[in-house]
Amino acid sequence: MSLIHIQNLNKHFKVLNRREGIGGAFRDLFSGSYRTVKAVDDISFDIEAGEIVGYIGPNGAGKSTTIKMMTGILKPSGGTLQVNGLMPYNNRIKQAQIMGVVFGQRTQLWWDLPVIESFKILREIYKVDQKMFDRHMGMFDELVGLKTLYSQQVRTLSLGQRMLCDIAASFLHNPQVVFLDEPTIGLDISVKAKIRSLIKTLNAERNTTIILTTHDLGDVEALCQRIIIIDKGKILYDGDIKRVTALFGAYRTLKLQIDNYADSTLQSLQEKLTEHFGADNGCTIAQTEEFWTDVTFDQARTPLSDVLGQVMANFRVSDVRIVEISMESVVQQVYDGALR
Amino acid sequence: MHSFLDYIRLYFIIETQYIKARMQYRADFIISSFGMFFSSLATLGIFWIIFNSIPELAGWTFMQLVFIYGFYMIAISPMQILFDHIWQIRFHVQQGTFLKYYFRPLNMMFYYMSEMFDIKGLTQLAAGVAILIYASIQLGIDWTLLRIALLLLTLFSASLVQISITLMAGCAAFWVLDSYPVLGLAWKLREFAPYPMNIFDGAFRFTFTFIIPLGFVAFYPSQLFLQPQDVSPLVYFSPLVGIGLFALTYWVWTLGVNSYTGTGS
Ligand SMILES: Nc1ncnc2c1ncn2[C@@H]1O[C@H](COP(=O)(O)OP(=O)(O)O)[C@@H](O)[C@H]1O
Ligand SMILES: [Mg+2]
Repeated sequence: MSLIHIQNLNKHFKVLNRREGIGGAFRDLFSGSYRTVKAVDDISFDIEAGEIVGYIGPNGAGKSTTIKMMTGILKPSGGTLQVNGLMPYNNRIKQAQIMGVVFGQRTQLWWDLPVIESFKILREIYKVDQKMFDRHMGMFDELVGLKTLYSQQVRTLSLGQRMLCDIAASFLHNPQVVFLDEPTIGLDISVKAKIRSLIKTLNAERNTTIILTTHDLGDVEALCQRIIIIDKGKILYDGDIKRVTALFGAYRTLKLQIDNYADSTLQSLQEKLTEHFGADNGCTIAQTEEFWTDVTFDQARTPLSDVLGQVMANFRVSDVRIVEISMESVVQQVYDGALR
Repeated sequence: MHSFLDYIRLYFIIETQYIKARMQYRADFIISSFGMFFSSLATLGIFWIIFNSIPELAGWTFMQLVFIYGFYMIAISPMQILFDHIWQIRFHVQQGTFLKYYFRPLNMMFYYMSEMFDIKGLTQLAAGVAILIYASIQLGIDWTLLRIALLLLTLFSASLVQISITLMAGCAAFWVLDSYPVLGLAWKLREFAPYPMNIFDGAFRFTFTFIIPLGFVAFYPSQLFLQPQDVSPLVYFSPLVGIGLFALTYWVWTLGVNSYTGTGS
């Protein structure tokens, strides 16, 4: 039996279509019209003990909602969900003992107390014996230098320091499974690297199962063997990360600021690329922010210099940036059949 | 799983840390304690002014009202000291920080309320005890062992009434976007509790007895000590009202907690 078993799981939210103004709010009170948001739409997967799974997808895909069901906050609208053989929503207290959770940037430590006191309170809550406590605290110190933060009030920590403390705290009671929802969001590269190594070591040391939610592909490349891609509540891919990195590892996005940008620019850019590289060139063009045109392409098929050359030859470009492929473009590519 | 003793121990550990942290702001603590002390004496001042012009208020003497007021101050203190975190609930619910209270193997009401311990409420409690002792000496109340036991029981129940009314109003945050007026109203209404219910006319008295039972915070239970020979049957219910009301409140809290879905994303 797998540690986490999910079958045809759903979560639907009824959301009020708010009317405008005070009068509207008043009428909503009595006769609101609702629409249903299928935040999680018929998903199934199993996770075995000891796995690190990257649960990825763009904003609003349904990642947090799935985690909220697995941690017993939300009641599923339908389907089966078992963690360690039990339905989390109906066994919250019992399940909390075998889980660790870090939810985004909202700390679970005691805001006004020194860091070490939070850990001591957690020791009491989870009844961690002194030997295990000392061992784990030693390990946290070795991995991220936790000791230097012991006497600082949680409120005075930087976001990165707080995340490190929160993640360490979620492993203190040696849980069977740890859920990390967007642990690296808003952090700079060096803290990200520390967090990745902390997670990796803890998983290896204690064979703790880890479900990691992120929209940073770097996180999953560094940590996971298996990824599950979700979008609009549905699972698009569940499998080895190697297939995904093989596909997207070579992808880059070229961000261009084109002079005299007009509505026809995207169209003519598309035509020029097709003209030069053929119809099946693997390039996608989109405008994701004002003044910037994104060209996402596969370096293996269309080298960067060629794409850039084509663009420069045909358009006046005032600024250029090259970035790694975004989660949104990955999902778009998967829809377009990239992993089939 | 945690036993009752585990919870007591845990509460003690957490609050000790909080008090330690608070004590760093000693001036703030001293000033707010004094503020609490004097604002509670203000109502006594109002009584004194009223009784300067009339000898009795709806059949009650000045000293009897002082007794009721002392009872009231003690009865509202546990709410103030132990459940003060209810005031923050709408922020937690709206901003999604309420989620964290689901993640520990603890009773959620315990965990939530343990995050605040209002030390300055202790001065209110002390003032209440002093006023109650003073008034009962002046009134010549004969404190037998049985009466003392009854006093403790009624105080326990009365404080549950005050806690229940406030928490119930706070729970509105689970269903109403701007729940502040609900809690604010419940808190304001509390100021009616130290007055004899028979000064209010029918509709108000009915409300304060059966709907928002503020009468059970001080007035009804006090009668067991002020006129034990002449009390309405209602008064004998006062020890039960608190327990029943708290059970109802806990049920509403659980309903709220179970229906909370967090904020989107
Ligand atoms: N409490 C809620 N009430 C209504 N809609 C919600 C709620 N929580 C999430 N949603 C909606 O469900 C979808 C999935 O949200 P979420 O699981 O938070 O996405 P993710 O974590 O992948 O960014 C979104 O469309 C979001 O607006
Ligand atoms: Mg999310």
